[in-house]
Amino acid sequence: MTGRPVTAETMPGLPVEQTAIPHPAVREWNGETYYDLASLKPSPFDWKIAAYVYVAGLAGSSQIIATLADRLGDGRDETIVRNGRALALAGAVIGAPLLILDLKTPGRFYNMLRIYRTRSPMSFGSYILTGFGVASGLTAAAHLIGERRADGSRSPMRRAADMTQVPAAFLGAGMSTYTAALLSATSTPLWASAPRAMAVQFGTSAMATAAAALSLGEQIAGDPENSRRLDGLAAVSAAGELVASAFAEKRHHEAGVGETLRKGPIGTSYRAGALALGLGVPLACHAINALSKRPSRGLSVVGSLALLAGGMVMRQAIFQAGNKSAERPDDYFRLTQREPEGAKPRRRVDRAIEGRRNGRDPGRLP
Amino acid sequence: MGVHPRALDYAESLPDGVIPDESELTCGTRIEPGKSYGFFTDTTLCIGCKACEVACKEWNGLPADNLGLTGNSYDNTGDLGANTWRHVAFVEKIGSGDDRAREMKPFQSNWLMMSDVCKHCANAPCLEACPTGSIFRTEFDTVVVQQDICNGCGYCVPACPFGVVELSLEDGKAHKCTLCYDRLKGGLEPACAKSCPTDSIQFGEIEDLFGRARRRVEDLHGKGATDAYLYGAPDTPGATGGLKHLNAFFLLTDRPEVYNLPVAPTRASDRVRPSFLTGLAAMAGLTLAAAALMSAGRERGR
Ligand code: SF4
Ligand code: SF4
Repeated sequence: MTGRPVTAETMPGLPVEQTAIPHPAVREWNGETYYDLASLKPSPFDWKIAAYVYVAGLAGSSQIIATLADRLGDGRDETIVRNGRALALAGAVIGAPLLILDLKTPGRFYNMLRIYRTRSPMSFGSYILTGFGVASGLTAAAHLIGERRADGSRSPMRRAADMTQVPAAFLGAGMSTYTAALLSATSTPLWASAPRAMAVQFGTSAMATAAAALSLGEQIAGDPENSRRLDGLAAVSAAGELVASAFAEKRHHEAGVGETLRKGPIGTSYRAGALALGLGVPLACHAINALSKRPSRGLSVVGSLALLAGGMVMRQAIFQAGNKSAERPDDYFRLTQREPEGAKPRRRVDRAIEGRRNGRDPGRLP
Repeated sequence: MGVHPRALDYAESLPDGVIPDESELTCGTRIEPGKSYGFFTDTTLCIGCKACEVACKEWNGLPADNLGLTGNSYDNTGDLGANTWRHVAFVEKIGSGDDRAREMKPFQSNWLMMSDVCKHCANAPCLEACPTGSIFRTEFDTVVVQQDICNGCGYCVPACPFGVVELSLEDGKAHKCTLCYDRLKGGLEPACAKSCPTDSIQFGEIEDLFGRARRRVEDLHGKGATDAYLYGAPDTPGATGGLKHLNAFFLLTDRPEVYNLPVAPTRASDRVRPSFLTGLAAMAGLTLAAAALMSAGRERGR
């Protein structure tokens, strides 16, 4: 068993008895469960929500890349701008029905915008998606109507598109990563044990898959130079994801919950699909291309495709493994032997109360 | 508790209508909006009769499910869910296999029985997760799902740290114990508490209940049952990680895990900020990297 044992030191406030008889809540947990029955309910989220997380990330990060290409580009990046904006809109258009279809009462989807709640990623995420969809739609529409003129100057419509893309890009950052907060803000052991690492994992994967998709677009458009820059971004993001995955795994291990993502068919698909194919292959392809004098188009395409596939496998595996971990009482009980990440009191007044509480006589029952 | 003087006004076996403030007669508590109510479930008194399960199903019109035998002692209910809002857990402390006890202490029960229920958490993670506002806090400080608003997104389900709330596949909405919201409005004690023959389930104002529970623990300790402790009262196991306290709390005599309860559950929404802010920071870093790569690539390309 990993994690700290529950004692009066690690969990202040627990009643401690003066007698030599170990207090039942203070004696160490010996792995007891209730007939091995689940202590939690798994989320009802299936492949549709996992696919939404993938699509949302890809779309959000595409908008960021398109915005950068538009601001920093010199006109040769026009296809990146156009494809990025189109991908962003497509993501919102495909993502929303994926979410709605996963509702068990889909006819009431509009109730999602009935209230606003900063403590619920499902709530503020609905607003991010709505805002992103609207801004990306406006951007893409205005872009279509007002293509850049041949002399490089921008028509009024195109300038409108350039304006709406900025809020779209900011919301795109939210789209890329809020879904990790959505999963972490549950009691599901696997997701709850690594809130920070998973957020980086999802964000970097979003950027990597967006760069990969846009790089494929440049290959089709016949601009290997642009492809090379996007491949560079994809490789940097993929390297970041690899580090974040390692951190996430460390956290899972510390909390004693990682088994559902390490073992069995889910573990195999995570290791082979998400890590080896999704990160190893593209990193190798892009590294070879970066070092060689004549970058190969084939390697770039293979790297991009592998990244795109790996990102989807990663989301699906994390969803399935999370749901499975919720059904394993020992995972949950191991996790809840310690105070988890992120539960520290934030406000000064809360810390003061906490401090006073810790100073109390632990021998007395509260 | 003796008979309430007002009880004599309603001596007939078939009263004409609902007795006003009936809860005062059945449990000595008058139910008024604006106060906090809850359950104190004293597991040392539970005899496993399942009257609470039945009363709950009856009053709330919940369908029967899980017809069959689980093989897990006398627990053929299994767990709380969309159609089960009270669940009596049975733990046989006689070991198993070769470890099975052959002798037992006289006059000691080797059973642990606990009637589990939605905890109506002070900081309820299910409520905080619900994006539609379907889950709300009532005027009695209880947590209820509004069936006409829930759209079945299912986010409350993994948010609950006790595995209580569940979606029904019949109607596509989330369901759980309402602490008999309708009965409270009518001045009636919740059905489970009223039907419990041993007062293992006690309904009342939450501060009263905490006091009663603490006295009961001291009492039990005095009798030599030093294992007794509270789960979910302020500063006890269960009331951890920002949950503050549980409006339905328990008196237990073994590790919480034995009863299928986590020792230190947490408030799920506390993880939103760390996760989201870290994610945004990562996106900011990636944007900078992207900007650098884009511009650098352009320089080289010229
Ligand atoms: S026990 Fe679960 S369902 Fe009940 S109030 Fe707490 S979080 Fe909600
Ligand atoms: S399933 Fe219903 S009650 Fe639960 S979070 Fe979604 S809308 Fe709220």
